[in-house]
Amino acid sequence: MSFHEFLSRTRFFFRRRPAGELGEELQFHVDREIEVNLAAGMTHREARRRALVEFGGVAQTHEDTYRQRPSWLLETLPQDARYAVRGFRRDPALAVTVIATLALGIGATTAVFSVSDRILFRALPYADADRLVSIGLVQSLEKQEFMVGGFYYEWHDNQKPFVAMAAQGTNPYACNLVESNPSQLNCVHFQAGFLPLLGIAPAFGRNFLPEEDRPGGPNVALISYGLWKSHFGLDRSILERQIDVDGTPARVIGVLPQGFELPTLQDADVFFPLALVPAAQQASKNNGIGQPMRTFARLRPGLSVTQATAQMEPLFRHTQETFIPAPIRKDFHLSIRSLRDRQTQDVQLAAWVLLGSGAALLLIACANVASLAMARGAARERELAVRSALGASRLRLMGQGLTESLLLSCTAAAAGLALAAGLLRIFVAMAPTGVPFLEKARIDLRIAGFTVVLALASGLAIGLIPAWQRPHSLAFAARGGARFAVGLFGKHGLRRLMVAGQLAISMILLSGAALLLRSFQNIEQQNLGLEPGGVLTVRMALPDFHDTPVVGMVSRNGPRHAEIYAQAEAAVRRLPGVRAVGWSESLPPGGGFQNARRFADFAVVGQPAPEQGSGGSVRFRSVTPDYFRALQIPIVLGQNFTEKERDSKQQFLILSRLAAERMIAGKNAAKDVIGRRISMGSDGTWATVVGVAENVRNGGLTDPDLPEVYWLRRNIPSDWGSPVPMMVISTELSTHSTAVWIRAQIAQIAPTVPVKIDTLAGQLSKLADRPRFETSLLGFFALTGLVMAVVGLYGLTAYLAVQRTQEIGIRMALGADRIDILRWIALEGLRLILLGGAVGLCAALALTHFLRSLLFSVGPRDPATFVGVGLLLMCVALLATLIPARTAMRVDPAVALRNE
Amino acid sequence: MSDKSAGNSSPKELLQGTLDLLILKTLALEPMHGWGVAQRIQQLSKDALQIGQGSLYPALHRLEYRGWIQSEWASSENNRRAKFYSLTAAGRKQLAEELAQWDRMAAAIGLVLGEAAS
Repeated sequence: MSFHEFLSRTRFFFRRRPAGELGEELQFHVDREIEVNLAAGMTHREARRRALVEFGGVAQTHEDTYRQRPSWLLETLPQDARYAVRGFRRDPALAVTVIATLALGIGATTAVFSVSDRILFRALPYADADRLVSIGLVQSLEKQEFMVGGFYYEWHDNQKPFVAMAAQGTNPYACNLVESNPSQLNCVHFQAGFLPLLGIAPAFGRNFLPEEDRPGGPNVALISYGLWKSHFGLDRSILERQIDVDGTPARVIGVLPQGFELPTLQDADVFFPLALVPAAQQASKNNGIGQPMRTFARLRPGLSVTQATAQMEPLFRHTQETFIPAPIRKDFHLSIRSLRDRQTQDVQLAAWVLLGSGAALLLIACANVASLAMARGAARERELAVRSALGASRLRLMGQGLTESLLLSCTAAAAGLALAAGLLRIFVAMAPTGVPFLEKARIDLRIAGFTVVLALASGLAIGLIPAWQRPHSLAFAARGGARFAVGLFGKHGLRRLMVAGQLAISMILLSGAALLLRSFQNIEQQNLGLEPGGVLTVRMALPDFHDTPVVGMVSRNGPRHAEIYAQAEAAVRRLPGVRAVGWSESLPPGGGFQNARRFADFAVVGQPAPEQGSGGSVRFRSVTPDYFRALQIPIVLGQNFTEKERDSKQQFLILSRLAAERMIAGKNAAKDVIGRRISMGSDGTWATVVGVAENVRNGGLTDPDLPEVYWLRRNIPSDWGSPVPMMVISTELSTHSTAVWIRAQIAQIAPTVPVKIDTLAGQLSKLADRPRFETSLLGFFALTGLVMAVVGLYGLTAYLAVQRTQEIGIRMALGADRIDILRWIALEGLRLILLGGAVGLCAALALTHFLRSLLFSVGPRDPATFVGVGLLLMCVALLATLIPARTAMRVDPAVALRNE
Repeated sequence: MSDKSAGNSSPKELLQGTLDLLILKTLALEPMHGWGVAQRIQQLSKDALQIGQGSLYPALHRLEYRGWIQSEWASSENNRRAKFYSLTAAGRKQLAEELAQWDRMAAAIGLVLGEAAS
């Protein structure tokens, strides 16, 4: 478009012509024709008639010409909108129903989108984050990639697929900021190249220099924006200041930007240089394998994760063959995953399921509204026909319908946004710990934009579907015909199809929800093998416990800690109602990396050692005798540890029944267990089996049980090192008041130590939070969807029944009795139910296998569930057809016949 | 002018483009009202081309919005107020371009038909 043309167009855009001008122009044309005709000798009447015939539809031409105006759309829009609002005012119930239905669909979808967005779609807060990967080894006990100094340099120096590679320490650890206002923080180490790898620059100050990222380098630290704000009041003089962390002063050289998160998503407030020792000295660290770390890398442009993995394979092989001891070699694998997968892989499926069900709900809502719009359109057929006869083009009528539906859907979107904000609150209140980013989910511009897209899409859908269905012969409609017209599915074929579709989608949603519900019930009702009632756990955060953040290392302050723990135990024992006070470092059904050992590491004396790399893992806990009493885990063979054995020089252990069965071979194995000696690891220490305990769930709530070995925690300092011990108390009195007493007792022994007290029941419930969350969400969607679908079915049946009042009258007059009418109407509904149900069932059977990993001890095609869901849908849907059918049945034939 | 190149792709648009050309050419002779344009085209084509009013007025208005023609109300031959259209400078340029294009097209079609005939 040339500049001139543009100017010309804009000019007309703003200059409104008097509406009469066009009329006058056309009138002039007609009048000239009449003059010509008169001159040709026609009568006045004839001349006028001929002129008009010649001209064609004056109104049509008027409209067509008018439409050439550049501002045409803008001018008709408010007009259509006004017209639409007048329509809504005339029928507020319909408008409210439509808006409420759509708002529910849009709101629910928006809410789940805001939760899944960060998990599935939103860019990670790093520069060009799609190219960031997590790289390292994985093994049966640790599924997140890790590296150790022993081979890090080799990989780092010889790799080809990455432009950069940098590491952080394995885990943030608790550290104390010793200032005027001491507090416990999380500290973590990373390399100087770590922030540049992520594309993050400090908010102010600077990153570590290479010479600072060296053993023995200057003590420097970066702090998080949160710490800067909460502790230093956003004071810029923090730079170059010394802060005292765990008794070591460090100079603050920078503040990280607000909202910075570690790629591992762990919280951290203070960051130190990782200061890896050079490759040659790594062998002196961490039992010879080198410093442990989490490594991240940036892919070269255009390289995929698969290609990078293939290119790293030779380096990995070399490490496997030269570095990892032969017996456990096969247990280690190379793993490279995109950073997004590293962060959210285990919840991506759940996020997709929730998003899908939200979309399904919206689909049902749209179908419902479109169906309503069609019913209304049918009632307005004559109005439309008249407007069409007056010169409104088909396009114009469609535009009018679209304006109406967009107006409705946008109002619904506004309501939906409010609903989404409310739903999000509920989600966060339920906040399962296992869903990352849930607490951070917000309705922001991006989410609002998504909502607008949803609104436009649903507005288009509900505006266009009825328009498509509109009869072509409007004139026919205007005469009030089209009553008995039939097509493939009858006159209301599309509506019927939509109702069947809604039922099918409901069936899918219901099946998914029912499966999750069954799975959740199984989780809740399973026998854990212990009695959680009245059990409390106490964790004391003794200062500088984490001297070395390495698994299995003994804290430097072990002796002093052991003393404090012993005093605390004695004090709690004196409390009223306390039945047992035991110690462990973790509790079933949880446990993880730190509480697992390799099965192959246990050798029964007098028996061939198990083949290396076989048998998977073993749950390992270091406990005192009261542990079994506190949790009421029965000893099925032999006996419990005794208090006397706690002072012994010898080591004792108790096996779980599963461990005993797996470890002790032989015919009389069961009786032969007690007194056997078992060595653990290669250092030759062994312990005597004193008993066999009943199995408890110990692989988490849903994973299979592991064999479990209980090691007696003796009264010697080395048994009280890392990991942090946890006191397990069983009380007969209320857990609440007992907790208060425990706090008071510990405060007397170690006044400054923060104490964390939880009930076991509460922790168990928290473990089930995620399945509970998924189940309630899907359940909510499924029930809402069912209600909508059934209302849709009811509406259609009732509408058809009313439309056919006359036909009913004729049938009755011809001898059909009331039951026949009932059957006639209900059968039609039944056909839709069967069609929708069958399609839904097939789709559900095809789709639910995606749920497999979310389900616990129920198959994705559990027959009972599917039969139950099918019956439920059937009954509710039948009810929805029978009620209007019954009303139709009661029609008085005489009234019905006069109906028209 | 963006519409020009895309304008001749389908027969329907070719037809519309032709109508524009005819209108522009007619108005190039003298300013005229809508009825006059229709009459003139009919006359000049010896009744072969009858312009339906349903397309004439939308076309006139479209051309006006594009800035190729302009309009003013003036007294007509029978002393009635009528809307007279006249070419603008841009319209003249457009007419020249469309004529040239028409010639090229006609020549091309002629070539093809001549080829087919021989």
